[in-house]
Amino acid sequence: MKLIEKALEEGRNTLSEYESKQLLAAYQIPVTREMLVDDVKDLTKATQEIGYPLVLKGCSYEISHKTEKGLIRVDIRSDKEARAAFEEIMTNMDGSEKAVLVQEMVKGKRELVIGLTRDAQFGPCVMFGLGGIFTEILKDISFRVAPLEKRDALEMMQDIKGHKILDAVRGMEAADLDALSEILITVGRIGLENERIKEIDINPVIISGSKPVAVDALVVIS
Amino acid sequence: MEKIAANMDPLFNPRSVAVIGASDNSGKLGFHVMKSLTKGGFAGKIIPVNPGTAEIMGIKVSTSISDYDGQVDLAIVVLPAKLIPGVFQECADKGVKGIVLITAGFKEIDDPAGAGLHDEIAAIANRAGIPVIGPNTFGMINFYADLNASFTPEFSRLKKGAIALVSQSGGISHLLGFMAMRMDVGFSKIIGLGNRVNVDFTQMVDYLMGDPDTKVIILYLEGIDEPRDLIETVRKYRSQKPVIAYKTGSAVVGDQASLSHTGSMAGRHEVYIGAFSQAGILNIDNTETLIDTAKAMAACPIPDGPGIAVLSGQAGPGMAACDVCEANDLMIVNFSEQTQQKINEYLPPLALRTNPVDMGPAWYDSSATGRIIRAVMDDENVNGILLLIMFASANIDVLKGISNFIMDWRQKKPFITCISAPPGIWDDEIRRLEESGAMANYPTPERAARAMVNLWGYKKL
Repeated sequence: MKLIEKALEEGRNTLSEYESKQLLAAYQIPVTREMLVDDVKDLTKATQEIGYPLVLKGCSYEISHKTEKGLIRVDIRSDKEARAAFEEIMTNMDGSEKAVLVQEMVKGKRELVIGLTRDAQFGPCVMFGLGGIFTEILKDISFRVAPLEKRDALEMMQDIKGHKILDAVRGMEAADLDALSEILITVGRIGLENERIKEIDINPVIISGSKPVAVDALVVIS
Repeated sequence: MEKIAANMDPLFNPRSVAVIGASDNSGKLGFHVMKSLTKGGFAGKIIPVNPGTAEIMGIKVSTSISDYDGQVDLAIVVLPAKLIPGVFQECADKGVKGIVLITAGFKEIDDPAGAGLHDEIAAIANRAGIPVIGPNTFGMINFYADLNASFTPEFSRLKKGAIALVSQSGGISHLLGFMAMRMDVGFSKIIGLGNRVNVDFTQMVDYLMGDPDTKVIILYLEGIDEPRDLIETVRKYRSQKPVIAYKTGSAVVGDQASLSHTGSMAGRHEVYIGAFSQAGILNIDNTETLIDTAKAMAACPIPDGPGIAVLSGQAGPGMAACDVCEANDLMIVNFSEQTQQKINEYLPPLALRTNPVDMGPAWYDSSATGRIIRAVMDDENVNGILLLIMFASANIDVLKGISNFIMDWRQKKPFITCISAPPGIWDDEIRRLEESGAMANYPTPERAARAMVNLWGYKKL
């Protein structure tokens, strides 16, 4: 993958959110519609193309924990709000490569995490669990060794304590388990096919209607 | 390696066993190993080896293994570590088929000389095709050969059974053995792997899958060198014999310095658990449930579905069992119309007649109790039965009344019980029913239900 080679040449150990999602999208993993902009003219183009409501995020390979640094503005509904958010984020960012990611706001209350890690003995392993703020708090996660078969993917989703979140609950549709399985299997394949990828975090994967969408992602390389 | 696999059989079923480092001094392990062999009733030839003694426990001693005139199949070695390379070479020259190396002081010690010795003896054993259990192990026991090749003679008190234990810990093996004695659970083999020269979990699973005495394999592990090999091996035999694993070490956390959440949460433990499930190994997280589950798997068929009937002599234990079932994906099913009609005939309307059935009003009437159990057994909605009966003076005959047809029916579906009485009252009857394979009995309704949960959990893997 060119993205990875380029980042390694630049001496980096992570891909930015934008690059990470380009990589996922290249493997047909559904990601948010988004554009990377670094001036106001491009911002207008992006807001028109993607459409409100939007999320604006500071985007650079140097920042991985955006929430803590005040670099995310959500539920942007007008050009005026977009302009203000863009300028605030650009001011708050330090570092050489500044840009703002303009992203569709995916609606859905259910947040999951899908990840990849490289185990010294087992090789690439895929993780599934509750996402967003619950990932760290509840640590409700399960692992499978790549390559995954469909049954592995289905089982690992049932393995977490909170697996009922995937059912049709509280008026929400049941999550599309086939689509989720496909992502889990693909993440394992990415690990097997790309030696240089050390870890992947896709967090959150939001269930929008019944379909999973990768809303934030981080790829660690070495 | 092929020769090592071929020599596994004589290792576990030797006709002659040498104890290298045998002793008549009870302060030495060589004494206890001799005691295990002799008291354990080993019928083959026992050859104590010790250059300084003429006779141990009434058996003539050889000064060295090469000095002994005859075939030696198994050598149990209890000499100090530095002597082991020489002993191994002698064993290789003598044509010994298998070795149990009890001695410690190899790669597990801080001194790098230990690792050097380890490599040295591994090279000798591999060249000669000798499978080695150990080093740093209490040994192994093959109950069906009356072979107690360990330093704990009391292991021979265990009953013969269908469970094989392969363990990385001597302490856990002893603990499980003692628990099993109290629970009247039997084993086919117990193997303490120790620090593993050339017999690891993989080789043991491979061997035990073909062992006619073993129906269930339980593994206790802390961490192993080649987990992928084990996974591949278990997968190869998928669903031939249940493999249950208890892996400790969940407190060890992932890489805290990791940049991603996935990396920081991926402890070795979590990855092991995931990989085991993938291979069809049932994960268990404590010793009690480990032995309870193995006992159920040895006695019961695997259920076809999650539908459970809970029949209790008293309502409370039934509720306790239902709670465990329902929290763990088993279903307390509705009976078929036909079954329900029968139960309604046998029980007065004041009782809870739907599932879970409170047989309270019929508890001193063993024929009514029997008829209810029989009706439920044949119900197609029911995949497994939990029967819970607490003794009372008025129902003392109930067990006798139902035991014959339980025995005839013999586990057409998993039949798990918590039948409990003061010591001495029903013990013989319960033992008779368990030994005949008619039921698996547990001290509490929760443990009985948990055993059923795990049978279904295995089926779902």
